[in-house]
Amino acid sequence: MNRSFALSGDLAQPFVILACALAALSAGLLLLELWRSRRARAASFRIGASGLVAVLGLLAAVLRPVGIVSKGSLVGPKVIVLADASRSIDLPGLEGTRRQTIDRALAELEARSGEVRFTVLAFGDGAPTPIDGAADPTKIAASGKAARAPFHPRARLRSDLGAALEAVARAADERPAAVVVLSDGRLDRPAEAGAGDAAKAALGALQIPIHTVSLADVAPRDASIRRVLAAGAAVAHQPFSLRIEIGCDGGLSCGDVPVVARELREKGEPTELASGTAHVVAGRATVELPMTIERAGARILEISIQAPEGDVIPENDRRYTTLDVIRDRVRVLHVAGRPTYDVRALRMWLKSDASVDVVAFFILRTPADHVEAASDELALIPFPVDELFNEHLPSFDAVVLQDFNAEPYGLTKHLPSLARYVEKGGGLIMVGGPDAFGPGHYGGTRLADVLPVELSADRREQGTDLAGFTPRFTDAGRVAPVLAPLRALIGDDLPEMPGVDLVGDARPDATVLLEHPTRKTASGAPMPVLALGEHGSGRTMALTVDGSHRLLFSSFAASAAGRAHGAFWDAMLGWLMRDPRFEPAVIDVRGGCVAGEDTTLTLRPLPGPRGEATVKIVRLGSGEVAATLKTPVDGSGAAIDLQAGKLPAGGYSAVVEIGKGTTKGPTTRRDFACEAGGDEWADSRPDEDRLRAIAAATGGVFVRAGDAGKLPLPEATQVATERQVAAVLPVWAWTTLAALLLGAHWIVRRRGGLT
Amino acid sequence: MKRIASANAAGEPAPRIGRRAAVSLLSVVAAGAAGLVGSAPRAALAFGEEGAFNPRVLLTGDARWEGVRTTAPGRWSKELADRTSAPAKLGPGTVRADEPALLAEPFALWGGDAAVPALTDREVSGLKRFIALGGVLFVDDFAPEIGVFLRSVKRELARVLPEGSPIPIGDENVIFRSFYLLRRAEGRIEGPAKLEAIIRAGLPQVIFSAHDLMGALARSPSGIQPIAVTPGGDRQREKAVRLAVNIAMYVLCSSYKDDQVHAPFLMRRRKSTP
Repeated sequence: MNRSFALSGDLAQPFVILACALAALSAGLLLLELWRSRRARAASFRIGASGLVAVLGLLAAVLRPVGIVSKGSLVGPKVIVLADASRSIDLPGLEGTRRQTIDRALAELEARSGEVRFTVLAFGDGAPTPIDGAADPTKIAASGKAARAPFHPRARLRSDLGAALEAVARAADERPAAVVVLSDGRLDRPAEAGAGDAAKAALGALQIPIHTVSLADVAPRDASIRRVLAAGAAVAHQPFSLRIEIGCDGGLSCGDVPVVARELREKGEPTELASGTAHVVAGRATVELPMTIERAGARILEISIQAPEGDVIPENDRRYTTLDVIRDRVRVLHVAGRPTYDVRALRMWLKSDASVDVVAFFILRTPADHVEAASDELALIPFPVDELFNEHLPSFDAVVLQDFNAEPYGLTKHLPSLARYVEKGGGLIMVGGPDAFGPGHYGGTRLADVLPVELSADRREQGTDLAGFTPRFTDAGRVAPVLAPLRALIGDDLPEMPGVDLVGDARPDATVLLEHPTRKTASGAPMPVLALGEHGSGRTMALTVDGSHRLLFSSFAASAAGRAHGAFWDAMLGWLMRDPRFEPAVIDVRGGCVAGEDTTLTLRPLPGPRGEATVKIVRLGSGEVAATLKTPVDGSGAAIDLQAGKLPAGGYSAVVEIGKGTTKGPTTRRDFACEAGGDEWADSRPDEDRLRAIAAATGGVFVRAGDAGKLPLPEATQVATERQVAAVLPVWAWTTLAALLLGAHWIVRRRGGLT
Repeated sequence: MKRIASANAAGEPAPRIGRRAAVSLLSVVAAGAAGLVGSAPRAALAFGEEGAFNPRVLLTGDARWEGVRTTAPGRWSKELADRTSAPAKLGPGTVRADEPALLAEPFALWGGDAAVPALTDREVSGLKRFIALGGVLFVDDFAPEIGVFLRSVKRELARVLPEGSPIPIGDENVIFRSFYLLRRAEGRIEGPAKLEAIIRAGLPQVIFSAHDLMGALARSPSGIQPIAVTPGGDRQREKAVRLAVNIAMYVLCSSYKDDQVHAPFLMRRRKSTP
């Protein structure tokens, strides 16, 4: 309860001021009169004193002073505490880890919760979120209150204080009186240069101080890969450089640090792309690693350093980065066993596409041919099979084997390397004809294992069926995006084919899009005519007929002006090259993947395909299935979140398959990496200077975690809940008193000689 | 190694036979079929043969395919099959410009020795569709000494391809190196060194010969050459066969021999060849 006094209980403040001014004026006039009068000089003191008392009495009668008794409470100002929730808080700090230091700082601040109202938020990426800091009733602190649960928010992959401050400034609820930031200062935003001004700008019109609390003051003994930068875009088949920035702190003696860049493979050991040595000077080094990546798409690169002894944070000695390698042009090797209208049609389409770079080799002459000319009269060059498949194979994005017999031209010995080429991400198309598939002597070879259909190794078996037939779309073929452009032109009709290579069942992971209407495989299933498959990191396609040119040139083709052939092959090559237009779904890792933290995948299927989607997460290198996730897909194309759980550090491939059995569509995949440390552990040094700059620019104070309780936080505000006003004297008493005092003054004036 | 397969009526695979034997057998069949005027039977289309080179003879108006040159398309196919890896249909037939069958395959031969009458609207439409789909037309003047056939064909093709006009093509063109390295064009007569062609999308799509190439290729079933080749005799006939093979290879491979990978090799060989 508070007691106070007021000059007037009912007059508004302007009238009070007016009354006081009039009273002062009266007193002034009286003193002027006394100074001018010679007669009253002897009694001037008495006259003046009585006059002043009378003026005061009159003023009191006008104002009528009151006494005030009020009841209320102190309300602390709102203070927002932004606690760093990035992964760097698990690095060494002032007290154990920086996370433990945050607990200490929060405890210090909590001790002042009677003065201010704290709202504790975790910041990292985007707007800050409330932390799970609710009191733990099972633990009682020294104060007798339930103890606060340890600080353990979801780990953030970034430390964006700028976004957090902007969100605080934009918030529509109660305006805070101050912000307290608990961090190690190693922030993504604001950047090191101009951090103070940037923080002030982030607050906008909210002119409040930002107090900063440091969680660490010294760098740990650590050698790390701070940054991996690609100098320009990574283009398949073209050399580019990775710039690796190495840091060495905490008194660790680094000297020369070996650096290696390797590409993770579907199975087996990673392939070394480049290596070098970083010469560390003043704790820093930069090394450029020139390399060429032959495969486009998302490639997972592992960059590692050999840290010196004494390195306390080994997690940041190895970084994984997903490099999106783009294609300038698709390089295709087109090999045909003999020139036919089918070869002509495919070649003309390949040559017509400006984005395709074709290298073609057609067998124009066999040893049995009688050319009737000397060799120098011929425009023929030897088929450079060894040179092509030994040296140049990795430089191609796709290989087309069209009606090509492997044996007579020396390809057989290169089939294992062609299979490895597919495993490493290359594309392979085998187009039918009398010398393809079984008759082409591919059965029982390494390449047969790569194809999406099974081939018999028995050469005595019939290899072709010469009867004409019209292929039919499978259920998967009707909904597959890869055949959508073709179906948009010709619908369900297909031209008659003059025969087919005989193949076995589709492999378990393959997808059959076209099938033979009458022929069955040994298992009784319709024989595949067009099948797509994935093998390792690459994709393969088997087309068991040699009549796709009928989509370009035939009475049937004329109905679509011959465009069906281009639509078909554009989609086939596009699918082989993982063109997003022909993928049944897109899969992303939401918020990135951090080893040991929950990982969320977002599946965005194309509208149309429905059924059960299976997402298989396979670890690159070992091929081990880390998780298998299933979810229904309703055909609407709505995005679906899938919880993949906690994954160890490494590279992964998420393979999506929608549907089962005959409705199973082509698969799609997304390679991604999970890092143990990631960007947040790349630079383990605290940055107290940045915290100081932020505090100084906003009128705040910088302290270390142990002094968090000493921050100069705003004072509490009294809020009244009950108020009683009582007059000092009744009105008649003030009036009587004023009359008596005025009367007394009049008497003193008269006696002193004034009128 | 090279084989020709065919299907029997039941759709079962036929036993494979050597190509040489098949060629001999089928060439006899082709020669017999060539005697049938205007309506040669459609060749059986077997796996691997359907995309084979087929020098179909284009007929317009009331034209008929007859005379000593009727054996020439079959010879053309046989020479191609004998000399190269390309499959060829040994009994090529005829096709009319106003028939849907014109669009069945991307090649046709238009030959004659007299002026052709004006094309009907249906024939113009059929040829327009043939050219629009990418078909290649070879026009051979059987009487280049007169030249009326070629002039009349050019006049009519101007209605089909109003935007295209023939230009001379010599040994710089891919046709002259698609299989053999040729310096000039030759047929029954030596004629001009160059062919002419209407070029579309950078490639010859209508090729004009004023050399009577079919006259040089004509051969009776007994192997007799019914038309004399002048002035070069057998040597010139061989050059004519090579030109025919090159034209067929161009039809099957398009601009394959213009690929960068072949260029240095072919330039070296051209320089070393007198």
